[in-house]
Amino acid sequence: MLSVILQQGINGIVVGGLYVLVALGLTLIYGVLVQINFAHADFVTLGAFAAYFVAQLLSGNYFVGIAVALIVGGVLGWLINAAIFAPLRQRGSELLPLIATIGVSIMLQNAMLLLFGPIPYAFNTPYSSKVIHIGSLFFTLQNLLIILVSTTTIALLYAFMKFTFLGKALRAVSQDHETAALMGINPNFLIMLTFIIASALAGMSGALLGPVLVLTPFAGTSVIVKAFAIVIIGGFGNVEGTIIAGLIVGLIESYTTQFLDPGLIDIVVFALLLIMLAVRPTGLIAEKRAENV
Amino acid sequence: MSDLLRIKSSRPAPAQRFITSRRLCFLVAAITIALLPLVFPSSYWRTNLIVCAINVLLTIGLDFVLGYAGQLNLGQSAFYGIGAYASTLLIMKLAVPFWVAFAVAVLISGIAGALLSLLAVRLRGHYLAIASLGFAVITYQILLNWISLTQGPLGIYAIAPPPPIRLPWLPAIVFTNLTNLFYLIAGFALLVYLILDQLVRSPIGETLTAIREDELSAASLGIDAPKWKAFAFAVSSAVAGAAGCFYASFVGTLVPDSFFITESFSMLAMVIVGGMGTLIGPVFGAICLTILPELLRGIGDLRLIVYGAAVTLVVLFMPGGLVQAIRIMAHHVFAAGAKFEARL
Amino acid sequence: MTAGVNLACENTGPVLFRAQGLCKNFGGVRAVRDISFAVAPGMVFAVIGPNGAGKSTLINLMSGICQPDAGTMSLDGVDLIGMSAQRRVRHGLARTFQKIRLFKQLSALENVIAGYHTRHAIPVWQYVFHGAAFREDARRCGDEAIALLNFVGLSHRAHITAGALAYGEQRLLEIARALATAPRLLMIDEPAAGLNPTEVAALLRRIAGLRDRGLTVLLVEHNMDLVMNVADRILVMDYGQQLFAGAPADVQAHPDVIAAYLGANVL
Repeated sequence: MLSVILQQGINGIVVGGLYVLVALGLTLIYGVLVQINFAHADFVTLGAFAAYFVAQLLSGNYFVGIAVALIVGGVLGWLINAAIFAPLRQRGSELLPLIATIGVSIMLQNAMLLLFGPIPYAFNTPYSSKVIHIGSLFFTLQNLLIILVSTTTIALLYAFMKFTFLGKALRAVSQDHETAALMGINPNFLIMLTFIIASALAGMSGALLGPVLVLTPFAGTSVIVKAFAIVIIGGFGNVEGTIIAGLIVGLIESYTTQFLDPGLIDIVVFALLLIMLAVRPTGLIAEKRAENV
Repeated sequence: MSDLLRIKSSRPAPAQRFITSRRLCFLVAAITIALLPLVFPSSYWRTNLIVCAINVLLTIGLDFVLGYAGQLNLGQSAFYGIGAYASTLLIMKLAVPFWVAFAVAVLISGIAGALLSLLAVRLRGHYLAIASLGFAVITYQILLNWISLTQGPLGIYAIAPPPPIRLPWLPAIVFTNLTNLFYLIAGFALLVYLILDQLVRSPIGETLTAIREDELSAASLGIDAPKWKAFAFAVSSAVAGAAGCFYASFVGTLVPDSFFITESFSMLAMVIVGGMGTLIGPVFGAICLTILPELLRGIGDLRLIVYGAAVTLVVLFMPGGLVQAIRIMAHHVFAAGAKFEARL
Repeated sequence: MTAGVNLACENTGPVLFRAQGLCKNFGGVRAVRDISFAVAPGMVFAVIGPNGAGKSTLINLMSGICQPDAGTMSLDGVDLIGMSAQRRVRHGLARTFQKIRLFKQLSALENVIAGYHTRHAIPVWQYVFHGAAFREDARRCGDEAIALLNFVGLSHRAHITAGALAYGEQRLLEIARALATAPRLLMIDEPAAGLNPTEVAALLRRIAGLRDRGLTVLLVEHNMDLVMNVADRILVMDYGQQLFAGAPADVQAHPDVIAAYLGANVL
């Protein structure tokens, strides 16, 4: 019994870590711009496909695939900011950019459907088949890789936000655009940077998720709905909360898989989300964002 | 922004409002509805007409909460599904009469919408959008997984059309006939349009727009935003419930996939393309985006790409949608006409 | 030190609004500390102080946008603590905002009509079937709204979208919109910000006009000279605290006030 609990714990951390990577991107963008990029999910999918084609077809190695996915994500992030969020910023509407990115998401998904077809791709990396046994526990090298990469990325990002000038500037922008501008920081540059970082994270997590997920053009959607749940549970714009919530959702998912139908996992996660909205709408870690009246 | 780009036109003074131009419009709409099945005699086109009418219902409901109250309801597919399944199950499992089941299903959808909105009420627009998306996912999964009730992916078959309406001295109106079914659904859509139009022309219109524009400011005028958002959500989801009920009795089969979240996105596309914040816009949007893919059968796979592109482009370049485009064209025509007259 | 002075002055006569020991902290910042005052009906009560003195927080506490950490507030004997902003409007509190918050896509007239939210007299069913009561209500609101626009001098701009109005006009429109709620106490936050001297003078005349019609006005302003002629009583705040309260003449002569203002000016 204990080994089952531990085993599922490991699986939960693997999945949770990836969710955190996706959710962190959403939360970073929200923190700076108070906007949601609905197409974030498709950046995950595109990252996965990019990694797949690099790794499998061009017989490059998986790490090159991850790097390409990272770049693909970053470029997409730059594009979506330049094409949608930047032009719509002046209009100051809360919903228009969200709606526009829903449009982008529909476009990307169906373009991928046209290009790649609906049949799932088998994304096998050299590491998915190597199994490590520790006592009665086992996990694949791929899982280890995922844990390593996601932990390192999260740690680096955290350190970047806390200790570097740019990271501090990002947080200054998220507090108050005017103040940031007064500090001699160009908010537009920082917003662009945020989009690139956030979307590169999405692309990279796609490359890591590819071998775990059923890789179809809609793969990102199942991840993104959970990422939304995670950022709300963790508190939109709150990095620490997002990390904790991501791991919690990963763990809940892996433990409920033991007992429930996979379809029911979504119900559990979203029930948690709705309860959270009702009970503690500021998220796990409350961060007061007083409106300047 | 120039005056032309405004989404909501200013309300005419009360004295003018009584004048018949609006009544004339409704008369024209009613006549159009009456003539349409005669113009399109093939059952293929009559089927499309019914789909149009259902989509019009869905989009004007969605626009009430999105365009007026400014709340993005991504759960419309769920309320649509709740209406469809609730009415069908009531009729088939409990042998409830159709119109009673219809009323109950509308009520259930409306209450679900209000509850959802109250749940996310303390939060800003984005949260409500995500919460409603979550609700749509949960509802879809429940429809899919509660097999003892919904038969899951296998679906429910052989759903009867609405029962015949028997009026004295007239032959019974049967709804196995596509023309009659179209009249029923389109007539209902016109009725809902009328009601919503009256609502947005009442002070409720200003109340909802005030919430859309600035919730805090609205509160400073005594507007209880949570209550009114719940009201708008309830109306919107009740209308979707009604549409679902008609859909079930029209198609005759129910599968959860008809109520997947992509349906919410399609409805959103129709509202945006038509022009949110007006009631007539979504009607145009629903008709265009339903009929166009049928006309361009070849683009089958491209349909959703076109939807997506249309949404994005409209938001970026013409946030008022088709209605705005028509207004601009009318303005140009009018200006050209004036110039022409001046020359004479 | 000042509490004794206040109570001595203000316990006499009727009181419309009373605050006792209001406190509000944001994180570590004590934005409002132990503020107590009373507003008598029919007066212009000015709250002045340098920027950052906590004046806006005070008005937010009064209007219910945020709740105080400690203290009591009452309007005509009705306890306001814990009451939502929208409920307070029904009890007769109205406000304008320092950063203008009009409904930008609505016309000037529609903005004012939105202010009638709590005052419509329409049977519920007439929202769908517009009948006689509905039309009567629409006529009454329309006429009153035009009258209010007239009062602030904007009737010729009634059908212009609020976002397209000039800055000074927007300020006036916000006042008209707040007046539409039929307040007993109107709180005006920094009305002179962004206005030219002529506009300010006209605005002050209008505020005096409101008082003459029996309305009680609470005026928040950082420019002391502006309020001297129009205010009946003045509360001076600095660093969230009450520095002085009294008649305009006394305020100007008070050494603490001069120090606070000079200090602020020098910095």
